[in-house]
Amino acid sequence: MHPTETWIFRILVLGFAGAFAAQVWTRARLILRAPNNIVVADDETGRRLLRFISEVVFQSRTIAERPAVGFAHLGVYWGFSAFALYTGVEFLAGLGVADVTGSRWFHLYELALVPFAVAVIAGIAGLLVRRAIVRPAALGDHVSGESVLIGFFILTLMVTFLLGFRWETGLAARVNWWVHALVILGFLVLIPDSKHFHLVLSPLTVYLRSPGLATVPNLDFEREQVGLETLADVERKQVLDAFTCVECGRCQVNCPAHGTGKALNPKRLILENEEALLAGRFDAKLADVFDAKVLWQCTTCGACEAQCPVGVEHLPLIIGARRGLASNGEAPDALAAVYNHLERRGNIWGLGADLRQKFIQSAGVEIFDAVRHEYLVWLGCAGAFEADFQKSLRALFDILRATGVTFGVLAKERCTGDIAKRTGNEYQFQELARANLDDFAAAGVTKILTSCPHCLRTLDVDYRAFGFQAQVVHSAVLVADLTRTMAVPGAGPVTFHDPCYLGRYAGVTAEPRELLARFGATVREPDRHGANPFCCGAGGGLLFEEHEEGRRISQERFEQLQRTGAPTIVTSCPFCSIMLKGAQASANTQVEFVDLVSFVDARMKCAAPAATARP
Amino acid sequence: MILVIAEQQGGTLNKATWETIAAAQQAGGPVTVAVLGAETAAAAAEVAAAEVAEVLRVESPALAPYTLDGFVTALAAVIATEQPGDVFLPHTYQTRDFAPALAVKAGRALVTDCVAARQADGRRLFVRPVFQGRLLADVACDGPALATFQIGAVRADTLVRGAAPAPVRTIAAAIDAGAIRQKPEAPFREAKHAVDLSQAERIVAVGRGIKEQEKVALAQQLAAAMGAELGASRPICDAGWLPMDRQIGSSGQTVAPKMYLALGISGAIQHLVGMKGARTIVAINKDPEAPIFEVADYGVVGDLFEIVPAIIKELQG
Amino acid sequence: MKIAVCLKQVPSRDWQPRVNDDRTWVRDQDAAFELNEPDAYALEEGLRLKEKHGGEVVVCSVGPARVSQALREALARGADRAIHVEDDALASADAFAVAEALAAAMKDEAFDLVLTGLQSDDQGSAQTGVLLASLLGIASATIIMEVDVQGAGLRVKRELEGGWFQWVALPLPALLTIQSGINQLRYATLKGIMAAKKKEIRKVAPPAGLAFRQRIVSLYVPEKRKQTQMIGGSPAEAAKALVAALRDEARVIS
Repeated sequence: MHPTETWIFRILVLGFAGAFAAQVWTRARLILRAPNNIVVADDETGRRLLRFISEVVFQSRTIAERPAVGFAHLGVYWGFSAFALYTGVEFLAGLGVADVTGSRWFHLYELALVPFAVAVIAGIAGLLVRRAIVRPAALGDHVSGESVLIGFFILTLMVTFLLGFRWETGLAARVNWWVHALVILGFLVLIPDSKHFHLVLSPLTVYLRSPGLATVPNLDFEREQVGLETLADVERKQVLDAFTCVECGRCQVNCPAHGTGKALNPKRLILENEEALLAGRFDAKLADVFDAKVLWQCTTCGACEAQCPVGVEHLPLIIGARRGLASNGEAPDALAAVYNHLERRGNIWGLGADLRQKFIQSAGVEIFDAVRHEYLVWLGCAGAFEADFQKSLRALFDILRATGVTFGVLAKERCTGDIAKRTGNEYQFQELARANLDDFAAAGVTKILTSCPHCLRTLDVDYRAFGFQAQVVHSAVLVADLTRTMAVPGAGPVTFHDPCYLGRYAGVTAEPRELLARFGATVREPDRHGANPFCCGAGGGLLFEEHEEGRRISQERFEQLQRTGAPTIVTSCPFCSIMLKGAQASANTQVEFVDLVSFVDARMKCAAPAATARP
Repeated sequence: MILVIAEQQGGTLNKATWETIAAAQQAGGPVTVAVLGAETAAAAAEVAAAEVAEVLRVESPALAPYTLDGFVTALAAVIATEQPGDVFLPHTYQTRDFAPALAVKAGRALVTDCVAARQADGRRLFVRPVFQGRLLADVACDGPALATFQIGAVRADTLVRGAAPAPVRTIAAAIDAGAIRQKPEAPFREAKHAVDLSQAERIVAVGRGIKEQEKVALAQQLAAAMGAELGASRPICDAGWLPMDRQIGSSGQTVAPKMYLALGISGAIQHLVGMKGARTIVAINKDPEAPIFEVADYGVVGDLFEIVPAIIKELQG
Repeated sequence: MKIAVCLKQVPSRDWQPRVNDDRTWVRDQDAAFELNEPDAYALEEGLRLKEKHGGEVVVCSVGPARVSQALREALARGADRAIHVEDDALASADAFAVAEALAAAMKDEAFDLVLTGLQSDDQGSAQTGVLLASLLGIASATIIMEVDVQGAGLRVKRELEGGWFQWVALPLPALLTIQSGINQLRYATLKGIMAAKKKEIRKVAPPAGLAFRQRIVSLYVPEKRKQTQMIGGSPAEAAKALVAALRDEARVIS
């Protein structure tokens, strides 16, 4: 290269790299000023690395929901990674530092890069067509000019690389080289202030993502933590998330609230956070940054987080902001009534314990005694008061008795505090948790069985923060195990509605299907099922919100299940059951509802009537 | 002598007055009834039909409209002059307002919301419910007392009528109208919604068991026959068969009437939380397993299209 | 405005009461206690009036040491300070003794407005408020749905029977007994709970020579308990039996 070229190049690199660094520094400062909530436990490193390899290296999440797009992106990404060394070597040569471009290994390397270049061209061309011509809803209303520009940049880089084989020397080669180098510099400077910052951040955010879904650690009242009130309170992982977001819209497209015409849009939430941070609105209340109404429309189903390919955690932001509001008395009125019920009666409906007593007596259940009983059956609020769910509990008791499992219930229960935790009333959650844990300890409980996925999540995950160590299992899992040698054919078609808190949160999707199949049902799946179900609309406190914007989430899901054509909907959660039956009642149609455990019990009884009869 | 304080509104006696007089008669001994107001002639003449020793007309222009200060001043004077044993009143909105103040002025104990009065060990005991009616308490007082009686505790038809009208005596109540601190305006009717079910004493509520919009009329007929308001569970209102302000449940109105009759309502928890406070719950449903029967006081399992006409016939016959 | 709200701590509404040995009260050693729900509405009204007109809300209660828990709950909802007349015997005393104890503790504070709930969930006498007003020598009105402060006086909406209402004007200082359900109860927020720890609960002894003019001589379980009576037979028979039960037994129709 001519010395003048070299100097010009050096100045350009300095300028562009400087601009790049300055923008990165702005964001780094925002990330560093945020309170740190990132905790990586020593024993997690292995799992995180495995996840990193799966999601970053092999792009498992981008491919999972959108295979064509995912593979296209994989091509581009691997291409990029493969080209990193190439770019480095060429720049070193251009800067006049060292020139190994003539070496043999470099030529071999360049040849090896050709298939990658082709893959990138194919991938990026496909993605450009999708973005600019197909224009899926997930990508928003208007085409991002910048994304198209970057797309063309990438094409140009690959084309110029390939052309480099054609034009190895002479003016054409120089021009080709400069075009390639300038595009790289241009690209570089566009990275920080766009979704392309994920190139830098996403490996970090994927690695740092909490191991579980909706990880919202307890507030420390000793340190007077009250939740996220202003933008300055937003924690480091959520600030990283704001900058890593690739705006792919997977969260938006899977969100049940967004999908039924509500203002809540998880993608918008993350981008509003980013906008506010870059604008430096640290004193702004989160209720203003996001519009408080939107914060209360979330059912905490977790579809957003579960889909995100770059490790964004939406729920700590939403629930964190809810905490800030709830701590200041700004929870919605419907929830205020529930909090008062929880305070007075220890259950979400404010009903009297005598109703629970009646159920226990009529079901003939014993009070838990650690000496004689293996399992504590946790009834939960629905188990104590909701008559339909109690039928499924009776079925569970019959199955347990028939399979020789010893169990008892607590004389008194209070709510696990699930709704308090998900809606941000952290104080109430901790009060309930501590009191329940005292009761468990006093009763010597080591194994808990529950039929409510919300109780499951709260006991099995949220209570661990207090040092709780008992085993917690959902009835679908235990019953599947207890009946593993049983089969009763000929039950006909059903559809199974995976509860969000069972299928997505707890990953229990195989056992219900196994039970249904073994006991003779053929399962017809709606599009959204398994680990990515469509919410029934009860979570996050929304069981109590009767005035929904747009369509009712329960209505939407009911229709999805109806469209499978199955005459029976099988549920495995009391709240899914309440919501879907409510949707049916309002729709005035005829579909049978049955709880999974009731189904199994009925099949067991029809096969061998004496088998599960009460002694 | 037991003094009974009658309650009247613009010349019309409150029905509870008869119950209170009956209670006094059953307690034993002579009974005097006091009627207060600006114009008491008509009410006094009506009361005089009961078997009582005397009817007192306590009159003053300052006694209409009702005010706490006016009534307490007048009644304290009557108690001081007439020196009754116990004083019986009905437990109404009005007596809840003034009776305790009267008790302080007259230096007597007040026992409220009694369901009965009985004699034991030579003294009168007042029986009243406590702890939401889970227990009953026998209450004894130091000296002559005031007692208010729960509406419906004593049956008005147990009242003994006099062979001849009782003597009526008029007392002019000396009340300084200027010293009355309360300045009431005219009473008015109002409902929070167009239909305020929370004020209804009896409600007939209809659910999906009614099956068709046309059949809702049957529920309406039953409600009319019982003197009840019509309510509904959510699906009925969602379907538009009845307006939203008739909806009872966690999103509609919460009610606590004396009687709640659930027709074809299963008793899902969203509905239950809206009506569990009703004093007497009746459920008619063809499903014997319906959760509503868990909370009902009276349950009928059967076809409501046969049972409801039979009930209407029984009420009208 | 200097507002007092009188509260009572009562056994939890769904607690099954058992009578003590001498049948004069319940065995409440094993009961869970809570703030009397009607008083919660009075507290809510008091807090709203303070938010609207400024001033302070002082919560007052009578009873054993455990009552301070109920007072803390009130402070956590926004009351400024509390007065606790500490005495074990007054937990089961009649309304007049309670009113006397409250009056003695409150009379020097010169409150503009005193609010109480309609009645307590345990004894349910519905008297304490009006007795207190009488002893303090202030005007009172009961079963209030709405409060409108007008200068040196109030205009309040009383609930009457059968869907009737009435506005009444009365001078301050006054006492009102507040109808339940008239407002949406706020919950104890985290910030409120933290702040409550620093608020004052002033303990006072009950006055000497309290008069107990009435007493429970016997407490017992009523004959009839709430059981679902299933009425069978043909539609005509069931209808007849039901109407008879509603008319004569439950006495909800005439």
